[in-house]
Amino acid sequence: MKILELKDVHKIYNSSEIKVHAVDGVTLSFNEGEFAAIVGPSGSGKTTLLNLIGGLDMPSSGEIIIDGTNLATLKSSQLIDFRMRNIGFVFQAYNLIPVLTAKENVEFIMTLQKWSREERDKRTFELLKAVGLGDRASSRPSKLSGGQQQRVAVARALASRPKFVLADEPTANLDSRSAATLLEIMEKLNHEEKITFIFSTHDPRVMKMAHRVITLEDGQVVSDDVKEA
Amino acid sequence: MIIKTAWKNVWRNKVRSFVVIASVTVGVFSAVFSVAVMNGMIAQRVNAALDEEISHIQVSAKGFSLNQDPDLVISDAAAVEKVISGIPGIAGHVRRTIVSGMAGTATKSAGVEISGINPEEEKTIFSLDKKIITGTGSFFDGDSRPDLALIGQDLARDLNIIRYSVDSLVLGKLREENVPAPVLEKLNTLSGERFANEKKFTRRVKTLLSARETARYGHIIKEAAWSFREGSRFTLTFLDRNEVQVGARFRITGIYDTKNSMFESTQVFVRAADLRKYTGMSESDCHKIIMRLDDSDMTVQTTESLAKALPGLDVTNWKKLQPDLALMTDYVHQIYGILFAIILAALAFGIVNTMLMVVLERTRELGMLTAIGMNKRKVFSMIMLESVFLSLTGGAAGMLAGWIAILLTARNGINFVKYAEGLEAFGYSAHLYPEISFSFFIMATILIIITGILSSVYPAFKALKLNPVEAIRTE
Repeated sequence: MKILELKDVHKIYNSSEIKVHAVDGVTLSFNEGEFAAIVGPSGSGKTTLLNLIGGLDMPSSGEIIIDGTNLATLKSSQLIDFRMRNIGFVFQAYNLIPVLTAKENVEFIMTLQKWSREERDKRTFELLKAVGLGDRASSRPSKLSGGQQQRVAVARALASRPKFVLADEPTANLDSRSAATLLEIMEKLNHEEKITFIFSTHDPRVMKMAHRVITLEDGQVVSDDVKEA
Repeated sequence: MIIKTAWKNVWRNKVRSFVVIASVTVGVFSAVFSVAVMNGMIAQRVNAALDEEISHIQVSAKGFSLNQDPDLVISDAAAVEKVISGIPGIAGHVRRTIVSGMAGTATKSAGVEISGINPEEEKTIFSLDKKIITGTGSFFDGDSRPDLALIGQDLARDLNIIRYSVDSLVLGKLREENVPAPVLEKLNTLSGERFANEKKFTRRVKTLLSARETARYGHIIKEAAWSFREGSRFTLTFLDRNEVQVGARFRITGIYDTKNSMFESTQVFVRAADLRKYTGMSESDCHKIIMRLDDSDMTVQTTESLAKALPGLDVTNWKKLQPDLALMTDYVHQIYGILFAIILAALAFGIVNTMLMVVLERTRELGMLTAIGMNKRKVFSMIMLESVFLSLTGGAAGMLAGWIAILLTARNGINFVKYAEGLEAFGYSAHLYPEISFSFFIMATILIIITGILSSVYPAFKALKLNPVEAIRTE
């Protein structure tokens, strides 16, 4: 089932007299349950494309349709609400709230969505257990390793049962062991819960595990390879 | 969760938060305590005016209050009193016969207002009987001799009725007032000398003490060193009903101290019967009927009722007689509010600065929160709550400190003895008892919350303007 569609998407940055085509006519679609990596050299437009898909930035032209909704038709406040309900984010630098515990970080978005305490507790417990941190629920980020923090970030991204998760270089700041653990967890969640993951990455381990690898160069899709199961 | 997160965010940078909270604490404490001192000062002055000087409402013949013509009397006082008795809310009333005149001794004279009173009735609405200086006599008690007069301490000084000397008794009193031994030693050299008036005594003391010692202890020394010879006499001269000048020698039955120099130096009290004897007034006449109310807040309404019931007479209340006090009591809360708001406005700049730092430091985090779906209203609320928590924590600590300071000082008061002469010249006691109402704390809390909210507006708008894509990239 198609959950995300990009139609001839362009993103042009006007820097003084130079026009930079960060994304140049990208047309893509993603189905439910995909585990896809967007790869390419630095400056190829990976992060820009992810920001456009996530509704953090708006395209100069073209359409981005998520589960039937064209993002361009949403007002700013509707877009924020849409992001909260439909998209999970994992950032390169984890970006957890340092004053909250792992449990509080995970349940933060559920609180914004006014989930009941029982629902929140149940979901948070499930997710922390799924990312292997069931026993660190009351730890603050400063007491967790980088890998553990990124696992909390993954749990947070999945908290509100989004349509898909966007992960911008999720393993870039992790050592190889932590990166491997994180990837295993994400693949397991993708496999068991049919959650769609879309990564931007340089990491060959991520590319190796991805079921689909989209390569960008100069803002254009130069290849889109789907691995056979 | 927003509230919890905002509260935890306040304590991220403990040192910075403590600095802001401490500045709010000091500011609020200063505001609370200074308001309590001012409030106590005004309350004492108003109570003194009502209890000792003018009471709530006065009735007199039309035109009497303008020129004090002795012929302008309430001619059937009993009938007026009957009407007064029918008005609800009046706790008691007294008649007074009043003439303007001169008080004189062999060396000095002064203009005074002489009130003929019934001492026993006076005690029901005034408390002047409790203001008699120990050792100077009484409030006409147990002395049936004619022509007795009660005068104020300042008038006694002005008429040179008071003498000054330093003996072992005076030195003992000064020791109790914690006057240091070197000062007492210097004063001891005055033993055996007597001074006819305050001026001569002050001049002599200044030759013994340093300027600092005189400034600090001069007032205490003067208060302790004066003495009064019981039964001293002085002359009162005034016009009778036929505008013929009459004079009589009056014996001082007591000296009162109200801490109001103006009142003390101008108000002389004699028995009404004695004054009638010299002015030729009948027993049914008087110049004023003065009333005390059960509730001071009913002053205006009761004045209106009396004015309707007694159309041929002037009905005046204390707010008209002492408009300065009325102004203070009517607008004092607005003045406190303005004072408090000014202090908080100054503190607000510190809070704004801190909150701007907070937004700057947390740019990436705020970008992340917007990215994952925290809407603008919630981001604004979180920043605003942090600012409110900062100001409210400092405000609560400041109010608590202020309240403790008021409790500690309210029992024994604060003695501004160095400024006693100046304060008493305006009718204010130098011994102040700070007081504050609970409603002031409610007003203060509301103002502190408003300060927190207003201080957060600019930083919160800065936070709302952040572009999540750029904010997340911030190092």
